Amino acid sequence: MTSWVRRNTELGLIVLGAVITAGLYVLASIGRTASLPANIIPFLLIVLALLAAGHLAMRRLAPGADGVLLPIAGLLNGIGYVMIARLDQRLAGLQATWTLIGVAAFIGTLIVVRRVRDLERYRYTFMLLGVGLLLLPLLPGIGRNINGARIWVSLGPLNFQPGEFAKIALAIFFASYLVEKREVLGIAARRVGPLALPEIRHFGPVLLAWAASLLVMVAEKDLGSSLLFFALFITLLWVATERASYLAVGLVMFSAGAVIAWRVFAHVQERVDIWLHPFADPSGSGYQVVQATFALAWGGIAGTGLGLGNPGRIPAAATDFIFAAIGEELGLLGSAAIVVAFLLMVGAGLRIALRADSPFETLLATGLTTILGVQAFIIMGGVIRLVPLTGITLPFVSYGGSSLVANYILLALLLRISAGDAAAAPAPGADDETTFGTLRR
Amino acid sequence: MPEPLLAILKLCALALLYLFFLRVIRAVWAEVAPARAGAAPAPVPKPKAARRTSSRRGKGGDALVVVEPKEQKGQRYALEDEVTMGRAAGCTVTLDDSYASQLHARVFRRDDGLHVEDLGSTNGTYVNGKKVTAPLPINRGDRVKVGATVFEVQA
Repeated sequence: MTSWVRRNTELGLIVLGAVITAGLYVLASIGRTASLPANIIPFLLIVLALLAAGHLAMRRLAPGADGVLLPIAGLLNGIGYVMIARLDQRLAGLQATWTLIGVAAFIGTLIVVRRVRDLERYRYTFMLLGVGLLLLPLLPGIGRNINGARIWVSLGPLNFQPGEFAKIALAIFFASYLVEKREVLGIAARRVGPLALPEIRHFGPVLLAWAASLLVMVAEKDLGSSLLFFALFITLLWVATERASYLAVGLVMFSAGAVIAWRVFAHVQERVDIWLHPFADPSGSGYQVVQATFALAWGGIAGTGLGLGNPGRIPAAATDFIFAAIGEELGLLGSAAIVVAFLLMVGAGLRIALRADSPFETLLATGLTTILGVQAFIIMGGVIRLVPLTGITLPFVSYGGSSLVANYILLALLLRISAGDAAAAPAPGADDETTFGTLRR
Repeated sequence: MPEPLLAILKLCALALLYLFFLRVIRAVWAEVAPARAGAAPAPVPKPKAARRTSSRRGKGGDALVVVEPKEQKGQRYALEDEVTMGRAAGCTVTLDDSYASQLHARVFRRDDGLHVEDLGSTNGTYVNGKKVTAPLPINRGDRVKVGATVFEVQA
């Protein structure tokens, strides 16, 4: 009953989202070339077909799952695509291909992962996978330096960012590990002032995974991801143990780490300088941020109109700075809509975490939601100069194959958790026995 | 195309965008608070539970009476030697409560009276606002909260 309502809600929202995407696409074309796009009908059909494929997969594979996440992700993907198509036709073609692969990965994940709690068993596999993926770009031969960060891997014609997938693997590892250890981690073995700390040895593997990912990030000069991993780690530790002291310790560790990084690394210093004084060198190091600020100022409340602005002058407008491009052409209203979309996704994600049936699923849903929310915050905050800029993609919106595919996989896992075990649960009659069996234990 | 027209179309597109969010919020709201008049009908208690209630009521034992949510207020569940509560169909008291776990809590009778125990639920079980960490004795008048559902122990 509920699942039926949810799927119909999803269908309605998907249709509305596709209409909005097509409308924006038409407007962008009119604004840019004063003509209707020649391919609008096939465009609308493709958008609808992609979303419908995801929707039908949900009906078949996870009928009880949350009904709003997929439409919101689809809408963000659509708005991002319109902006990318408006900025760079070549990238738009590639992004369309990536979206297709992303939806395929979404469906594939739903097919392969029937019960999320099964993932718990492979925790060390996921740890190795996550750390391995993170380390991959450092290997000579296949690792590539692009724009000062060594986060790319080239295999033949294929370029990708393994870190995007590593974050999911590490979220699974952290969640499963902390579920097992949360009790010992919650016990206060020693007190440091007002803080109760557990024994150091329980921290071992998590601290190791965290330090490794941080070290790799420093070596790869990818500040955004290192911040993301740290936020993920601390959030999960806090949720698992229900001890706010971990948040305090995390904040102290983060502050210390930030100050040290600022002192030691020139590229961190440069980022902070650009953040505080972008106009010190507006045509040099501060160029990107200054152009983004101008773009947002041009946009005003309602924007210049799609295709009528000049977001092309912001470097990396289609990837890291797509939020500024949206702010220029759709104004405060449009960029606030992006923020609202992410807020709704985070809200839905946390609701899934609250309703999950096992602690592992709760933690994993929290972790995946944290990834989505923190990543969106880091890059949107960087673009509007709320925090120092760290290059990272805006989930579902930015151009980028690895990011899009990884985020669709993340979405599928989140939806799978929300579907609960409704599909896999035995019939009510058989259920009695298992229920009471658990009870007697 | 004249620019004012384009501006109007742009505002229409933005309005649609916010309409989308409104519909998302409405869909979520309908699930979080299904308890409005005219909305989904109040969930009917499982016949199994109802039958048990009627068959045991004659013994004059204690019962769990729903206090919240409103539309199930007054629903009685007789307290047998052991009553399990949760979302699972196999529980003695099956709750249509999204904040309850499949197997959430149990109330059982020992020689010295009634006790409530949390069965590793996600959102915890509370007696008079205090979280249940170990089996806890309960008396008439105590309020037991499971998920978003509140029961009162009555005669």
